[in-house]
Amino acid sequence: MEVSFAREIEKLKLGAGETFHGEGILAVTKALLQSGVSYVGGYQGAPVSHLIDVMVQAAPDMAKLGVHVEPCTNEASAAAMLGASIMYPVRGAVTWKSIVGTNVAADALSNLASPGVMGGALIIVGEDYGEGSSVIQERTHAYAMKSTLWLMDPRPNLPSIVTCVERAFELSEASNTPVIMELRIRACHVQGAFEAKDNIAPAISGRRLLAEPAPHQYEQLAHPPVTFGHERKKSSERMTAARAFIREHRLNEVFDGAQGDVGIVVQGGLYNALIRALAELGLADAEGNCDLPIMALNVVYPLVPEEILGFAEGKRAVLVLEEGQPEYIENEIGTILRRAKSPVVLAGKDILPMAGEYTSEVMAKGVGTFLRDHLPGIGNQLGDTAYAEESEALRAEAQRLLAAPVPPRPPSFCTGCPERPFFAALKLTQQEIGPVHYSADIGCHAFATFAPFNFGNSILGYGMSLASNASVASFQQKRPLAVMGDGGFWHNGLLSGVTSRLLNGGDGVLVIMKNGYTSATGTQEVISSPDPALKLAAAEKSATHGETTIEDALKGVGVKWLRTVHTYKVSQMRDTLREAFSTKFSGLKVIVAEGECQLERQRRVKPIRAKALAEGERVVRTRFGVDEDTCTGDHSCIRLSGCPTLTVKTATDPLKTDPVAHVTNGCVGCGLCGEVAHAATLCPSFWRAEVISNPGWWDRTRSRLRRIFTLGAVA
Amino acid sequence: MTRAGNPPLRILLAALGGEGGGVLMNWIVQAARDAGFVAQATSVPGVAQRTGSTSYYIEIAGKDAVGSVLSLVPMPGRVDVVVSSELLETARVMAAGFVSPKLTTLISSTARTYSTAEKIQLGDGRYSEDNVRRTAEALARDAYLLDLGQIAEDSATFVSATMFGALAGSGVLPWDIAGSRAVLGEGRSATASRAGFDAAAQAVQDLRDTPAPVAAPPASDIPADIAEVIRLGVERCTDYQDAAYGQTFRAHADRLIAAADLSIPSAAHAVKEACRRLALWMAYEDIARVADLKTRPERFARIRAEAQMQPGQVMTVTEYLKPRAEEIADILPVRLGARIMVRVEAGKGLPFMGRGIHVRSNGVAGYWMLRLMAGFRRIRRRSYRFAQEQAAIAEWLAAMDKALPHAPDFAEALAELPRVLKGYSDTLMRGKTAYARIMAGVVRPALASGQMSDAAPTLRRAIAAALADDSHARLDETLGTQPAIPNLRSA
Repeated sequence: MEVSFAREIEKLKLGAGETFHGEGILAVTKALLQSGVSYVGGYQGAPVSHLIDVMVQAAPDMAKLGVHVEPCTNEASAAAMLGASIMYPVRGAVTWKSIVGTNVAADALSNLASPGVMGGALIIVGEDYGEGSSVIQERTHAYAMKSTLWLMDPRPNLPSIVTCVERAFELSEASNTPVIMELRIRACHVQGAFEAKDNIAPAISGRRLLAEPAPHQYEQLAHPPVTFGHERKKSSERMTAARAFIREHRLNEVFDGAQGDVGIVVQGGLYNALIRALAELGLADAEGNCDLPIMALNVVYPLVPEEILGFAEGKRAVLVLEEGQPEYIENEIGTILRRAKSPVVLAGKDILPMAGEYTSEVMAKGVGTFLRDHLPGIGNQLGDTAYAEESEALRAEAQRLLAAPVPPRPPSFCTGCPERPFFAALKLTQQEIGPVHYSADIGCHAFATFAPFNFGNSILGYGMSLASNASVASFQQKRPLAVMGDGGFWHNGLLSGVTSRLLNGGDGVLVIMKNGYTSATGTQEVISSPDPALKLAAAEKSATHGETTIEDALKGVGVKWLRTVHTYKVSQMRDTLREAFSTKFSGLKVIVAEGECQLERQRRVKPIRAKALAEGERVVRTRFGVDEDTCTGDHSCIRLSGCPTLTVKTATDPLKTDPVAHVTNGCVGCGLCGEVAHAATLCPSFWRAEVISNPGWWDRTRSRLRRIFTLGAVA
Repeated sequence: MTRAGNPPLRILLAALGGEGGGVLMNWIVQAARDAGFVAQATSVPGVAQRTGSTSYYIEIAGKDAVGSVLSLVPMPGRVDVVVSSELLETARVMAAGFVSPKLTTLISSTARTYSTAEKIQLGDGRYSEDNVRRTAEALARDAYLLDLGQIAEDSATFVSATMFGALAGSGVLPWDIAGSRAVLGEGRSATASRAGFDAAAQAVQDLRDTPAPVAAPPASDIPADIAEVIRLGVERCTDYQDAAYGQTFRAHADRLIAAADLSIPSAAHAVKEACRRLALWMAYEDIARVADLKTRPERFARIRAEAQMQPGQVMTVTEYLKPRAEEIADILPVRLGARIMVRVEAGKGLPFMGRGIHVRSNGVAGYWMLRLMAGFRRIRRRSYRFAQEQAAIAEWLAAMDKALPHAPDFAEALAELPRVLKGYSDTLMRGKTAYARIMAGVVRPALASGQMSDAAPTLRRAIAAALADDSHARLDETLGTQPAIPNLRSA
């Protein structure tokens, strides 16, 4: 795993009266323990990876408490874990990145929601929406509505978030319904503080075992005919109980304001940005005291009609601030008002944008428009247009002075990443055979969609690349290519892609990047991760070399054309790719592109080297460089590599105006530069230096002989 | 309405993934808390930890403002402090409107980590640093621009430490510098962090006391510039071949000067650039040249410095060479070279050629093998490629001769044309193809018709297009060649 959570683990042990300082998602983790959960599961992904990561690293402490922790192989298996709470009075929580994770979990969620739960069940989703998001832009809200799960969207401060976690379990138990809590990216990463409570050891757990399983109760199965009864219960008993609980415990918050003629209903998660927008308009102060009444919905589904009507009563108009599309909350509020024959005017997406993040700037503009329409006495004095003009002028002036658009800087492969050489080899292959249809996937290898590689015709989801070109193969002269990582392979790719292609006898080329971990999410382990013995044996080499779980699985299901190639052998990889695209063998061809994740390898190598150096042992450090005398500044090496440490610099030669290639001190000596220079017949400018610390007698002698026999030239 | 109130201190950090921006954010939050302030911070790292742009946002409220509602998202024009680890990221922050002359203190490293988009150009794709500096001076209330990366390297620490030091040294934090310094902790890495912190704090304080003078653009003295380029060119060609070759270069240069009216700025510029390109072209890289450059003592000294070799260590240097039959033909006498090229064009090549070899250039055998190759310089004047290059140079010089007196703007563009001749093997072949196409499609027709000035923009566009991509897609577009149609096959 990429990060060490030693300090965070200590924070999970805090007791009553102590103050927790830390990240939002870790506050959620602590709140789970304070709520007495029996089990926690999930699938990694920003922005919620840390929840599972910290619990996995805290395994001994969790075991002491009796909490079962399970990093699952995908979100469906995580969602299915909640099945424990259907028949047993145990609390459990699972987590993943949404919308994508919720999509994968959807089947289990439907089957969980139908019978309902006895013990509190909580799903914590990282709502990966807006700036910093890495997935398609959709809302989790739709899932809550269609499966009848309750959805919480707490105000983004640690005390609110922690309280919501604790209340979520109570709400879940009071209404026999699982609860989803959505946290936006910035809320997951927010650094704040809250007063901790003692952790609660669950009454039923790994330490306190049940003697007997639950009795057979057909009513608890998601199977006809009881599913018809479940459906009725969802909208009657469970919904009623939930609304009663929400009202009774005031889960939603109303902040009064002097200007009672209008009001604002806002998703809890947007509250802080709204207050900042109102402060900009001169309508609120830094403490959140506001001239306009605000209803902050910490529970966004279901709404409580009495609460909405109570808030709207006596007002001329209500503005709903709801991020994302479509406007589910606004529609529901509209229905509530209409059914009650309320004369209150409803505003929302008619004056605010349908799509995109609701930043303070966006909301200030919307509130300004709303007030001018419905409270002109104040609306006409607002400075919102002045602010809009000011910010627009700042951007325009910056762009004018900068003269050219700022080049993008998307994430890319790390220095020494073993996936980069594969894409260099693929680029070389395509120079020979021409472009092929490329189905991309989710994972670090998706960085190959950016410059300098610019690969990919489609991305259809995690582990879906092979499945997504099943029909493309039918109308292409050349075989299509699918690339997926080992993470995607185990998440979904083996079943959706490989077995489906084999069943149908289809052709095609699949490349599996075997780097040993789900690297993009923080190098969590998969079933084919190298075990400690392999890592020990590999030392500084790639530990994935001897690991054959993926190959065994492929052979087991019947793959006949299978090659494993180390990614740093660029020429061999190019030859293998060429063969895969040209062979007469008809059927699925799989190339396992092997090379251990550099982040994990470096983590192992660094201490080994430091120890050897400290003990005076012979240590060889490799570094690449470019001779600037022979570099002509055409940068074709960079177009085939994209390594962060292979960059450009102003030529020392005053005659050269174009910058020359240059390798920075960040070079880890992975060897790709040399491999590419050879495979692509690039240029003779690359050199490899091996610097030997604590040289032995023979090293020193050879060095001396070299100096003598080259007449001192190499000194 | 109109509520008064003190907004919190709003700090935006811009960095690249993996630079320790999260560490810096936590230091600031810790120092704020230690000083009794209320602090909240957040970020959107996502997958940006892999060297992409990333940002962190911190709000710090007064000591008595326990109930403050702090925001998680910065507002354009409402950020008090921006600290950036890299100059292009500073440009990005400014382009998004976060730097305001009313309130923003901008602390930016001047270090550059070039983005892929800038690096992959065949020419020079680097973003204008001068424009970023000018924008920073114009848009920030106070701008402190200094190389925080270099200060970090000098102190053997990370840029997060120098960013923190610069922030503390700028005096915008509402607690004293010792309070910031204290959160760096103990231990060996903390000692280095503190050294970087102190150096950066001092550097910012120096800037604050004596603002950096605005550097005047260097005076341009065209005749002197031309003389300098010619001096360098003579030196280069002498080093490349012999003194006579240097004098050949001088003769060519004199001819260009004689053809031009140097009082016309575009003509003078054309001569200067033409001399520059001519020198590089005449000293084209063949096997003998590469072998010679790779075995010079100063080259090994440079590698030792670049690889940060310490006393007591020993080093080996390995070259990645892949000579093909073409490169061998290049350095052989014309008739022999031509015969080999016939074989190459027939797809035969030479035995043992076209394979990648590793040469230990600081080993005895490798060194002398390279010296032997360097010795081919003696027969270079009779070689196959030399004849080819001299012919091409002669044609280009004649074109320059014709253009300089009549159409200096066309000459200015034509002077840049040899710039497309870059690289080795396939890259060089593509460059030569582009050169030939532009010669045939633009230069020769313009010379023949005499409509040179009209053709100058086209020529400039064509050169830019040839440098835009490897596939010559832009060049096809510019020269009006039919684009390749998708390869459809009737079923």
